[in-house]
Amino acid sequence: MAAVPSSLEPVKLGSGYNTPWWAHAIKWGLLALVLAAGLFVVQKLVANGSWFGVVITAFILTCVLAVYSTRRAVPMKYLLPGLVLLVTLQIWPIVYTVATAFTNYGQGHVLSKEDATAQSIAQSVKEVEGSERYKLSIAVPEGSDVATGDLVFLLTGADGKMQVGTKDGLTELSADGVEKTDTGKITKAPGYTILNAKEANSRSADLEAFAVPVSTSAGIKAVGLSGAFQGAPTLTYDKAADTLTDTVSKEVYSPQNAYWATADGKRLPTGWKENVGSRNFSDLLTNPTIRAGFFKIFLWNVAFAALSVASTFLLGMLLALLFNDEKMKGKGLYRSLLILPYAIPGFVTALVWASMFNQEFGLVNSLTHLNIDWLGNAWAAKAAILIANLWLGFPYMFLVCTGALQSIPGDVKEAAKIDGANAFRTLRSIIMPLLLVAVGPLLIASFAFNFNNFSLIYLLTQGGPFATDNTSIGSTDLLITYAFRLAFSGASPNIGLASAVCIFIFFIVAAMSYSGFRRTKSLEEVN
Amino acid sequence: MHKRALGAAALTGAAALVLAGCGGGSSTTSSSTSASSTTSASTETSSSSSTSAAAPAEVDTKDPSRADADLVIWADADRAPILTKYADQFAQENGITVAVQIATETRKQFGDATKVGKGPDIVVGAHDWLGELVQNGTVAPIQLDEATAAKFAPAAMTASKFNGQNYGVPFSVENIALVRNTDLAPDAPATMDDLLKAAKAAKAKDSKVSVLLDQAVGKTGNAYYTYPWLSAYGGGIFALKDNGDYDADKVIVNSAESLKGAEQLAMMGKEKVLSTNVGDDNAEGIFTGGKAPFFITGPWSIPNIKKAGINYAISSLPSLPGGDAMKPFLGVQLFYVSAKAKNAALAQEFVTNYVPTKDFQLAIFAAGGRPPALTEAYDEVAAANPDVKAWYEAGKDGKPMPNIPAMNSVWGPLGQAAADVIAGKAEPKARFDAAQKEIEKAIKASS
Amino acid sequence: MSNVTDAAAIAIPEGRTATAKSPRAAGSGQWWRHALGVIALLWALFPIVFLVSAALNPAGSLQTSSLIPSGSSLANFRTLFGDSSRPYVDWYKNSMIIATVGSLGSVFIGACAAYAFSRMRFAGRRPGLLALLLLQMFPAMLTFPALYLTFAKVGDIVPALGLNSIWALILCYLGGAMGANVWLLKGYFDTVPKELDEAAKVDGASHARIFFTMTLRLVMPILVTVFMLSFVGLFSEFLLASIFLQDVNSQTLGVGLYSMSIGNEKNRLFGQFASGALLASLPVVLLYLGFQRFLIGGMTQGSVK
Repeated sequence: MAAVPSSLEPVKLGSGYNTPWWAHAIKWGLLALVLAAGLFVVQKLVANGSWFGVVITAFILTCVLAVYSTRRAVPMKYLLPGLVLLVTLQIWPIVYTVATAFTNYGQGHVLSKEDATAQSIAQSVKEVEGSERYKLSIAVPEGSDVATGDLVFLLTGADGKMQVGTKDGLTELSADGVEKTDTGKITKAPGYTILNAKEANSRSADLEAFAVPVSTSAGIKAVGLSGAFQGAPTLTYDKAADTLTDTVSKEVYSPQNAYWATADGKRLPTGWKENVGSRNFSDLLTNPTIRAGFFKIFLWNVAFAALSVASTFLLGMLLALLFNDEKMKGKGLYRSLLILPYAIPGFVTALVWASMFNQEFGLVNSLTHLNIDWLGNAWAAKAAILIANLWLGFPYMFLVCTGALQSIPGDVKEAAKIDGANAFRTLRSIIMPLLLVAVGPLLIASFAFNFNNFSLIYLLTQGGPFATDNTSIGSTDLLITYAFRLAFSGASPNIGLASAVCIFIFFIVAAMSYSGFRRTKSLEEVN
Repeated sequence: MHKRALGAAALTGAAALVLAGCGGGSSTTSSSTSASSTTSASTETSSSSSTSAAAPAEVDTKDPSRADADLVIWADADRAPILTKYADQFAQENGITVAVQIATETRKQFGDATKVGKGPDIVVGAHDWLGELVQNGTVAPIQLDEATAAKFAPAAMTASKFNGQNYGVPFSVENIALVRNTDLAPDAPATMDDLLKAAKAAKAKDSKVSVLLDQAVGKTGNAYYTYPWLSAYGGGIFALKDNGDYDADKVIVNSAESLKGAEQLAMMGKEKVLSTNVGDDNAEGIFTGGKAPFFITGPWSIPNIKKAGINYAISSLPSLPGGDAMKPFLGVQLFYVSAKAKNAALAQEFVTNYVPTKDFQLAIFAAGGRPPALTEAYDEVAAANPDVKAWYEAGKDGKPMPNIPAMNSVWGPLGQAAADVIAGKAEPKARFDAAQKEIEKAIKASS
Repeated sequence: MSNVTDAAAIAIPEGRTATAKSPRAAGSGQWWRHALGVIALLWALFPIVFLVSAALNPAGSLQTSSLIPSGSSLANFRTLFGDSSRPYVDWYKNSMIIATVGSLGSVFIGACAAYAFSRMRFAGRRPGLLALLLLQMFPAMLTFPALYLTFAKVGDIVPALGLNSIWALILCYLGGAMGANVWLLKGYFDTVPKELDEAAKVDGASHARIFFTMTLRLVMPILVTVFMLSFVGLFSEFLLASIFLQDVNSQTLGVGLYSMSIGNEKNRLFGQFASGALLASLPVVLLYLGFQRFLIGGMTQGSVK
């Protein structure tokens, strides 16, 4: 891959270049492959009944065909692969998230209402007090299919009494020809085929629904494969009234705020997911705690992101310049070692930094003979965060600048030198601007990244230190860490609310980035 | 390329929350409340172990047949190997196939996977996940018969219940206790005064000793380790209902009893016994480095203490001046059956008939080193292993950590209040009043 | 500023590259570079010394107030490779595959897009570029549930692209490829004079031929840079990966190591964790060492121009 032409001449393409046959072959071959894969998927989708998937796949295939089989839409030929991936794997998830912001999705609100109701009823199953336990064998009447035949319970009571349970009730089982294990489990009974574990297991769903009625309310149900108990759900669902009734306490639960709750506020633990319209957004705008903390956090957030970008860029650039000298010996080694902070996973080194900033046992204080409470003092913690982020982030800028410096022609610098500009001026008025043009958009992206740099804050200070009367607003909180605490510090974490917060954050960052963008020359370069 | 190495975005903790819609995840409880690495202290699947790496090689981690196996079990990396052995036995006896899979962040993964129908039939986890699991409707009740239930330590059975329904079969109980470096402090102290006296003596003798009582506090505090200080005076977090359940509507963080504990914490901070500079990350290093004679911790620290060659002994937490002995929270490990189990019958069979056996519980003990929950198994282990007995004794009067969802609102504010009081940043009463208010507000907001 | 830019634009065709050719003799005036270089290294490396120390310490704890390892043994490395419940070698392999394939894909997709944005004029070009930048600002973490749900469904149709598949994960990473890199790439593409394209076009070369045989070679340094950046990002990414990859054997270094750093067991596993983290940095450093000559040297021969 080092086959860079040594001068412009070799690149000069002879006249009358025709696309070679193999290029066509590759192109059409790939196209056919994509098409074949697409059709394969479509066929599977059809078999699966996923019509939505069929439409999507067909649409993508049509696009591919339209773009690549004709000579038109040249830019699209280059953009399509990235675009398809972008839309399906980045834009669609964002759309989904935005949709989530209009729901109450979160802990306790995961299931559909139907499912939540079924779970609530299942959770209410109680053993009839004082009732006995049975040894159980699951069977079907002899002659019927083990996979579909009516289930029969062969039960042995604690006293050794044997009974047959069907969906109609209990009858006695005569001991003739019956074989049992030591524990009393029936292994053979004339007239019945006993299911083995695998067969019984494959009927788990039937077992779930099956009970041998023993009274108006209770039935004998299986516990696993070898035991049975008498019990019944204490909740019953009234579909017409849309209520759940507790058969024991006679309390009636109706849907309230996506929970089953009684009139006096008692509620069942399992709730469901439902649309709540713009409630999450209005909650955010009217919440007094949020309004109180917002401005302070916002300022620090902007400062943090801006300072992080500035410091990492400056250090990265200076180091890139430092080692950008042909004659310097061993710069390869320097460069490789300098990217080590970048090469080790960030969460690892963040842990190391957290312990280095320990007031009593940390290296930072013991080397500098200071006694700063790095993680416990509001300002020191801010400094600690910036220092750690500088360390984590400068190799990235170093890499980018080293790469970008290659595109700055040496002549410009030499021209400047001849004009008598000193090194600093050359740097400030020639190299920096050129570099900024190249990396400007990256700085903006880096700003955005740091604006939402959740993990750094979380690993180092968890947003703290906190004021002594309010653990919801920390001195090093970013909007995103604050938002997450807000959304999750209640007893029921709320993803819907968190999504709404993220939409707000998105607009804030995007607006700031956009204006930053307008200021730089970058956009003009785009023309 | 905005995806830098650090987090390529952010922490799994938070992602866990986001994805599962689940709340204070174990290690992630902290992410919601930001303060409680504690929870992780006791909830994140814990297994310590003597046998850490000595796992048998045949764990079926590859498992091509997740969907095909007749029974799928998820467990943590340390227990999965031993579980595999028993699962295989179960499989043979019943003529079926069982797949035991290692889950690294079980709580999160279980929630995610169950939601999309790709979860296991059985999952191994801590008891304080229960409230969340029930709220999300991901676990099924387990109808243990009375005789079987009676074979377990009562606290373990309490821990596996939520709203009066049983959802798990326990296999181990863990709690914190006082671990001492016997070279520095030969005798177990009965009271905090004794402890401090012995610690000061050790410090005078050995210049390396710089921490009198090694307990994880940290800058954002740690409610799990704070609780015993409150419980020594009869204080705590939630009052109990008549039936013994925790009452989410009665927070007692600033009760007169709890405040006595808070004052004690303030004093410990003032006298430089406890410090916010000692946290979850370095507490163990301090003890294994021989810098502290006493260390309040759980069984998870023992492997490193052994590796560091420290001579240690375990004893119950001391009593506090004017109060009783400090009582720790108990963490109970359970087998849960998924509400969406594809093989519900086999899953129920396994947890009701295999897990409550002595052999099984002994084997799991070998992998994790925590006192077994089955009394019969515990008795056998305790007779031979003084450490296990000591852990058990230390937790004898403890209560299970609350498994109600309201607990999520407690970790942050309570931990921070303790940290502030220890750091001398605030008066105990005012600070714990504020914490109480904050907790009540958070609980109310979510109901 | 625009003057400068113009100057650059003019200068490029016949210009050489930036690596300063100091008129002074080699060797002299270099000591200060080394002095600063050493300081930079100290700054960059001292936190890493802790990891080395923890990795070599058999008790494997973080002794943060001293830089000298309190013990020295390879026990942690042995544990690392011997722990069948935490298959480090598999993780390493998976990470290598994901990072290599993902980065190559990223570079390719990014380069294609950058070529279109740099060389062609079409409706929606400017807004498109801007949209790509702004899209990066949506907090990505929140969008993961949608990806998870999507791939759970996709897995039902095409099992090879379901959850637990590193290929599905790679695909997800590629979703962000265009947005993340296109600006950096386009900036560099812009510095390649358009006259070259036009000359080739006059000669009858197709756009594809120009792109594949000429442009790509001329922009190689930035391709390498982007490859490096992607590689680093993907190699240790754990957030999305931990959601996708649940089977221990299909996990990556990022996920595996992260799971060792949380929970009660983090202290017990710390030595193992530290040694794993150190070894995880090797590919990136080696890659850089290998590419560096090319990255820097590729253009010093006055290539483009």
